[in-house]
Amino acid sequence: MSIELLLALITGAALFGVGIYGALSQTNLVMIMMGIELILAGAMVNLVAFWRYLHPDNPAGQMFVLIIMTVMAIEMAVGFGVAIARFRAKGSVEMEEAAELKG
Amino acid sequence: MTAQMFFIGFFGLAGVWFGIVVFRTFSMVRSALALLFSQTAIGAMFLSMQAEFLGVLQIMMMATEMSIMAIFMVMFMMDPGGLGEMDMTHQKRLSLGAGIVSFMAAVAVAVFVDWGPLASVSPDAAQQTIDLGLELLGRSMLIFETAGITILTAMIAATAVAIQPVKRTREQ
Repeated sequence: MSIELLLALITGAALFGVGIYGALSQTNLVMIMMGIELILAGAMVNLVAFWRYLHPDNPAGQMFVLIIMTVMAIEMAVGFGVAIARFRAKGSVEMEEAAELKG
Repeated sequence: MTAQMFFIGFFGLAGVWFGIVVFRTFSMVRSALALLFSQTAIGAMFLSMQAEFLGVLQIMMMATEMSIMAIFMVMFMMDPGGLGEMDMTHQKRLSLGAGIVSFMAAVAVAVFVDWGPLASVSPDAAQQTIDLGLELLGRSMLIFETAGITILTAMIAATAVAIQPVKRTREQ
């Protein structure tokens, strides 16, 4: 196995782990979104590494990265929309206070 | 050690380090800037892996996205500068455990899976862009168009959610 591929996959794994920690531990909506961004960044690093070191002649690998970037943009747009609505209604984006839907 | 290996390792380490800084600082603006540096380092890593188009796209897109995020941080936070050192975390031990377990599981997959024969050369930047363009407007056109429609729907939905509701009087 090439060291370059291993380095890229370990970087992707580390970004995924840091993102999981951030998304679970933060109480602020925007900080939770930052954690999700890091998780998606980890996935992107893996996809680029797989494309480069396993199938460089197949551009479908790069296309998947574009789809992940689209998912990141959608997550940001919808997340900020929800954050603005929440801030207007309650004056805060703290998710510990958002327990209205709790059963 | 080749130059490519060095730069992948260097930018990978920088990306992970700035990713950790995002959740270590009390200042929300610094968090947004750390995430910007992390994503930029990942873009530089793409460039090191000879994915020129994706590297430049990642850096440009994330620079814009994180600048917007920093503005939202200042708008929403009581203490965006972090001077009060307010702790905004919960279930820390569980989150740390989940992060470490997912990291170890992903590393185990990376190390123990046989990835098969590796490619030593990749197409040059111009050829990559041509191939990607043909892929997007050929075989993957439906997926690409669906992504475009989805992002348009998300923009409309986000605007609709964020618009201040109009209070109507009885006369209206």
